[in-house]
Amino acid sequence: MNIDSSTYTFTQKGTTGRNALIVGVIFLIVSAAGYFMNSAEFFQSYLIAYIFWLTFALGGLFYTLVNNLFGSEWNIVMRRLNEAAMYSFPLLAILFIPILFGMHDLYHWTHHEVVAEDPVLSAKAGYLNITFFIIRAVIYFSIWFLLSRILYKMSLKQDKEPHDDIILNMRRFSAPGMILFALSMTFASFDWLMSLDPHWFSTIYGLYIFAGSFLAILSFIVLVSINLRDKGILTSEITVEHYHDLGKLLFAFLIFWGYMGFSQYFLIWYANIPEETVYYLERWEHGWNVITMLLVVGHFTLPFLLLLIRASKRRLSLMKSIAIWIILMHAFDIFWLVKPNFSEGLTFSWMEATLILGIGGLFVWNFWNNITSHPVLPVGERRLKASLNFKNN
Amino acid sequence: MNKETEAVYDYQVPLITGNQTFSSITDRISSITESKTTKEWLLLFGLASSLMLLLFGSIGYLVWEGTGIWGLNNPVGWGWAIVNFVFWVGIGHAGTLISAVLFLFRQKWRTSINRFAEAMTLFAVICALVFPGIHVGRIWVVYYFFPIPNQMDMWPNFRSPLLWDFFAVGTYFTVSLLFWYTGLIPDLATLRDRAKTKIRKVLFGIFSLGWRGGNKQWKHYELAYLLLAGLSTPLVLSVHSVVSTDFATSVIPGWHTTIFPPYFVAGAIFSGFAMVMTLALIARRVYHLEHIITMTHLENMNKIIMVTGMMVGYSYSMEFFIAWYSGNPYEAYAFINRAFGEYAWAYWIMISCNVIIPQIFWSRRLRRSIPVMFIASITVNIGMWFERFVIIVTSLSRDFLPSSWDYYSPTFWDVSLLIGSFGLFFTLFLLFIRHLPMVAMSEVKGVLPQANPHHGHNGHEGESK
Repeated sequence: MNIDSSTYTFTQKGTTGRNALIVGVIFLIVSAAGYFMNSAEFFQSYLIAYIFWLTFALGGLFYTLVNNLFGSEWNIVMRRLNEAAMYSFPLLAILFIPILFGMHDLYHWTHHEVVAEDPVLSAKAGYLNITFFIIRAVIYFSIWFLLSRILYKMSLKQDKEPHDDIILNMRRFSAPGMILFALSMTFASFDWLMSLDPHWFSTIYGLYIFAGSFLAILSFIVLVSINLRDKGILTSEITVEHYHDLGKLLFAFLIFWGYMGFSQYFLIWYANIPEETVYYLERWEHGWNVITMLLVVGHFTLPFLLLLIRASKRRLSLMKSIAIWIILMHAFDIFWLVKPNFSEGLTFSWMEATLILGIGGLFVWNFWNNITSHPVLPVGERRLKASLNFKNN
Repeated sequence: MNKETEAVYDYQVPLITGNQTFSSITDRISSITESKTTKEWLLLFGLASSLMLLLFGSIGYLVWEGTGIWGLNNPVGWGWAIVNFVFWVGIGHAGTLISAVLFLFRQKWRTSINRFAEAMTLFAVICALVFPGIHVGRIWVVYYFFPIPNQMDMWPNFRSPLLWDFFAVGTYFTVSLLFWYTGLIPDLATLRDRAKTKIRKVLFGIFSLGWRGGNKQWKHYELAYLLLAGLSTPLVLSVHSVVSTDFATSVIPGWHTTIFPPYFVAGAIFSGFAMVMTLALIARRVYHLEHIITMTHLENMNKIIMVTGMMVGYSYSMEFFIAWYSGNPYEAYAFINRAFGEYAWAYWIMISCNVIIPQIFWSRRLRRSIPVMFIASITVNIGMWFERFVIIVTSLSRDFLPSSWDYYSPTFWDVSLLIGSFGLFFTLFLLFIRHLPMVAMSEVKGVLPQANPHHGHNGHEGESK
């Protein structure tokens, strides 16, 4: 693989994308066999794997929006990595279709006879019904696709015809975009995750999912830029200073994630109302406490302590391990959100692993296509030089 | 590039205007504390301290007579006093946010406003602490609040959010005070060096702790400042999160909802910024600080007000949606009652002031209009006061037993305590701007172009292509 050092365009795309596609397709085929063995388990695993990868794209969309609004300079060198991950919604929209076929297995409220006998579910049938669910999904994907496409195109246009107005337009577009993003992300998390237990509810749920998504994309960026560095790309452009700042952001949002998770747990625990506590009870009994505690320690305490130290944010090998670890914990987080709705005891399915690899293969293939098709640095950006020379004070 | 359009790059906007030099900044800010007391100040001080007397008088009568003088009834056992407490604690959030969080975010524009925002924080927290104190009724046993060993072996309930309040607000006040004082030290030394009278020399000499402005001192100072900023940041979130648990740990419909901690924090920042804005606009006008607190500062603050207003709006809509979605009739009733019941007027004041009015800041012209932002900053605080009123009173007035439902109306003493608390706040604030440097001189100098080591060589640092 080669890169032109003046224009930052790839002269050869390399094998990463093709390899990812092969891995993705093979694992999807393997998982498809699982569908014929146990379709309910297949759909549960599919939902976990799908939401897991969706959060990377959503986190990326948020990161793009917020960078445009803040006008931050330090992370311009990594903008393309983020944009390439964000621009996955066409693929993710197609991959959503199996969930529609699995709705009957996944969502209890799609069973008419159950809803008819349950006054609580009948009361919310105006929101939780198949037609409206699909309409909403179409709306969410349209919002995400349009936002990501327009923002990506504007950013790419800057490479060819740099103009200050583009930065302003990206900012102006991102302000209402952020509102649409916040609402669509919240309701999507209600629809696709919270309604797995249609009796249970929590007002902070959307923020919790958002917090996890942002951690996912930040870790992904760390991982991808270190991977590129190993390939000899952007070795002098993305410096330890940038990793240091990414580490700080990661640290801040780990705390934010912990804050969201704790707020939800603590208020439910304290008030002790059975219709709410059932959520944590399901995630504590029959072996689930292992995963719950793993999240407390592994998703928060451990990376918190590591990232607290300045030196660890500036050591690339450690940052890489931390990023892999957080992504792994994020997968457990999604698993923890979904699986206890279906399985009383803690069980793993081999399809969870194969589907995460399968969808992940396609996600990385798409990502690699995006990243290699355009300059890997936003070369038309006037603030690029400031970003390249960025130093932590 | 057209000057009328927005600036794309931070360095295109000079933070401080009017060709200031290091000495002109020092003169401009220090002279406020050194010159003769102005008539305007005396007038404002007279007004504020009269209101403060109203507060003390009302507290005196309250202690004599008991909390029966308030409009509290059964079931509304928490009325204006708690509304005021939460209101003032909320106001107190902007100071630390500006000094700590914006510092960590490298937002250099904070330097013109951080000092008096921090002072405002301290005074707002003092006003807040008055209310739980006087709410106990028997004020002579107020020490029951505190976890202090006593011969009766009586301890406050450690599982009570009211005790956490005590810790959270107490910690916040202590750390904010230290942070504010640390920031003041170089400026106090400046005042000491300029002092003409013996008493000023001695007092500023003591409080500037022997500051000489040496290289080593600055190095230590900046490290201390960074550490304090790091320590204060979690406090910005924790204080109002803990205040929110006063409500959210209960099982009262409309109080118990999981979004409360971040929702209260966003609301606190929202109201705090609005209060900073109100005060900044007045101080800027009275003391001619237009070159130091520029339109850029004001516009940035308006953006933050708009964003936090929308976060609050997000929380309102989540509460409303989930109240319906939960299928819980009590929860749904609480919200329908808020919007359409006896207190609908308060609810719609809240929605208009907090969610609708801040939307005017989408327009750049309105974001940069002084009269508009002045009025908006006041309506935001009206709205935020009503938010706490709506939360506390509507939920309590409709408890689970319809036979105990009642309407709450404030009495004269409720009103006098609220107005009086503003008197206390403004009295302290006026004393502060008269006697201490209200803008962080040393920090403002740091963002002047002259402070850039490359100044005069290659133009601006980041502008090179």
